[in-house]
Amino acid sequence: MTAPGRGEGDMNKAIKQEPLQVQAYFLPPGIEADVTVAARFDTPDGPAELLVPALNEDKLRSIADELKRRREEYLASLTTADVVERIAAAAERWLDPAYPHRQLAERLLPGLTGYAADSIRLQLKRYMRTFRKKELLRFIGEELDDPLMLDEFRPRKSGGFSRAYGPELIFHVFSGNVPGVSLWSLAMGLVARSAQLGKTSLAEPLMAVLFARSLAEIDPRLAEAIAIVPWKGGSRELESAAIASADAVVVYGGGGTVESVRAIVPAGKRFVAYGPKASVALIGREALTPDRLNGTVARLAADIAHYDQQSCMSPHCVYVEEGGSVDARSFAAYAAAELGRLQLRWPRSALTDSEAYAIHDVRNRYWLEEAEGGGAAVYASPGGTDWTVIYRDVPGFDVSPLNRTLVVYRCRSLEDDAVPALASCGREGLLQTCGVAVHPQRLFGMAERLGRIGANRLCPLGTMLQAKAGWHHDGRFNLIDLLRFADIERGTEDDAEQYDPDFE
Amino acid sequence: MLLQGKTALVTGASRGIGAEIAAALASHGAVVIVGYYSRQDAAERTVERIRASGGRARAHRADVRSASEAAAMVEDAVEHYGSIDIVVNNALSPYSFSPSARRTAWEQEWDDYREQLEGSVHGAYNVCKAAMPHMQKQSSGRIINIVTNLIDFPVVPYHDYTTAKSALLGYTRNLAAELGRFGITVNALAPGLTQGTDSSRDTKEDVRRDIIRLTPLQRLAVPQDIAGAAVLLASDLAGFITGQCLRVDGGLVMG
Repeated sequence: MTAPGRGEGDMNKAIKQEPLQVQAYFLPPGIEADVTVAARFDTPDGPAELLVPALNEDKLRSIADELKRRREEYLASLTTADVVERIAAAAERWLDPAYPHRQLAERLLPGLTGYAADSIRLQLKRYMRTFRKKELLRFIGEELDDPLMLDEFRPRKSGGFSRAYGPELIFHVFSGNVPGVSLWSLAMGLVARSAQLGKTSLAEPLMAVLFARSLAEIDPRLAEAIAIVPWKGGSRELESAAIASADAVVVYGGGGTVESVRAIVPAGKRFVAYGPKASVALIGREALTPDRLNGTVARLAADIAHYDQQSCMSPHCVYVEEGGSVDARSFAAYAAAELGRLQLRWPRSALTDSEAYAIHDVRNRYWLEEAEGGGAAVYASPGGTDWTVIYRDVPGFDVSPLNRTLVVYRCRSLEDDAVPALASCGREGLLQTCGVAVHPQRLFGMAERLGRIGANRLCPLGTMLQAKAGWHHDGRFNLIDLLRFADIERGTEDDAEQYDPDFE
Repeated sequence: MLLQGKTALVTGASRGIGAEIAAALASHGAVVIVGYYSRQDAAERTVERIRASGGRARAHRADVRSASEAAAMVEDAVEHYGSIDIVVNNALSPYSFSPSARRTAWEQEWDDYREQLEGSVHGAYNVCKAAMPHMQKQSSGRIINIVTNLIDFPVVPYHDYTTAKSALLGYTRNLAAELGRFGITVNALAPGLTQGTDSSRDTKEDVRRDIIRLTPLQRLAVPQDIAGAAVLLASDLAGFITGQCLRVDGGLVMG
């Protein structure tokens, strides 16, 4: 045998690869900025780094002014149909697996966000389908009886005419929890014919930038009214400057983010917030028959695994009704096994110490209760925090530490036990999506009860993260929240006739 | 350390299942030749990964469809590491498992079959032909040919691919019958749909879900599953197993 290692040096030297530099910003033409490296992360093809522009108040103000100017020159003159065509055309590109921006997103997002590559790929394409033309039209039609109101004064059924105006400039504060969540907000703002200043989170600054580039491919002048810039949240000077320049502010994020921005938005300026929400699943005994059981568990577990429960639409807990082919305790064990399998398919992201601590804390609490003979049981991934299922024999509601931590509550009846257990969550304005698996005859009764306590979306298990275009996000309208209306009151147009010199 | 002191050659080892098998064999003590054809960068990453975990490996480029290139790769192993104890034939002609873009039976050309036969059967043949004399001389050896459970259950009929793999299974069994006398075992490994590989990327979610629904272990294979079975067949634990086809598919196909 030759000496160990001989000849091994010619190939396979340690690979010293230059990092791929990724522009995590999108600025209108003519705006120059110094660029710095904000973050480094790994991709399957080697290291990458995020480039972000250096910003100060003046720079931000000049960006905002430029956006407004460009909007006035072009975007403001487009019709609703024009804008819908362009957004849909950009989305159609994203629905081609070979589209370079999509491929780039699929390569970069896993390393950047920690979410599993296959999960991101699946969720992104599902999401992009909601931007097809038919969906955009459905969405606008849901909110405006006559979408042409965005283009011109339109006759109203009650007489007179009305027209809707969007803000000149919208300042968005995007969250980084779910890739691409920024795109709806951008699309909505464009439909409102507003210039868009988006502040992204460094946790996921890419999708807004890539989509803006797609829009620029379709119509460069439209995209000139968009700027996407990341900065670290809480920078009072930058946020105040952006708010001062904008006439509407849209914020996505946790309670702290929403409140800190709300505090500096002057009264009278349009402020729309999508703050913290909690979602749950409710499973009736009829979904636990031997033929339905596998599917029920698989769909619930997928809702938990995608984006590691970080979406506001991800379930924190599940209420499992007695009387099916498995009891709630066995259901918990089954859900745990399924989460174990999904760990191989869509591995969970690495956690920060405090995130992991929160999971250990919950586990310890219920381990103790289990040991003391209480009605709890803990099913936990061995040697880590990959997944946790906690069984409790009395319905309740606690906010989950997330990252694939599920509480299974046993209940005798969903209507009589689960709904009351959720009432306080609803009162606090937290309750959002309810993934339900019940008989059709129960559905509307359940919806009535859940709606009354504050839930605003019932959907099938397995689709909890895929809200349909036109849904009442957090129970409200979305586009309408951004618009102001001008009316020509009934009779005014008739009255005007007499001022025509040719009148009678 | 089930494979201490052994030299292994894994073809198609730059990515996916092949890379995982290479890493697993190395983690059990084998020194590994990482065979690749087009993806030098990926092959280097596999080698790096093995070295980073304290293993020994080198990459070797060869088109296994060429007898001389396959032989040169085997000789490279013997020259550098003194023997060739384990051969894993995993390389195949490029194939994308896309249920929607696949060719139907009436669209298949004989050239499609020929291409797959070239990659799967001719490739394995060339490598085995070159390795056999060394294994015979050592009176020992392990040959593992990667086939597919689609042979038993063509859940999606990939005609050319699966036909070629069926031929490779036939080749495996005949080789086992012939080489047993030299203490050489020859077995096939039949993975089910394996997630996380480049070639399974185009198998969309609905097909994945259908397969999972029918699979007792309720998930798809991952490359580590296949690699674990390869370590077993390569080790002395499997010394009296030859001519078999071990399905690694979560129980989708039984028997």
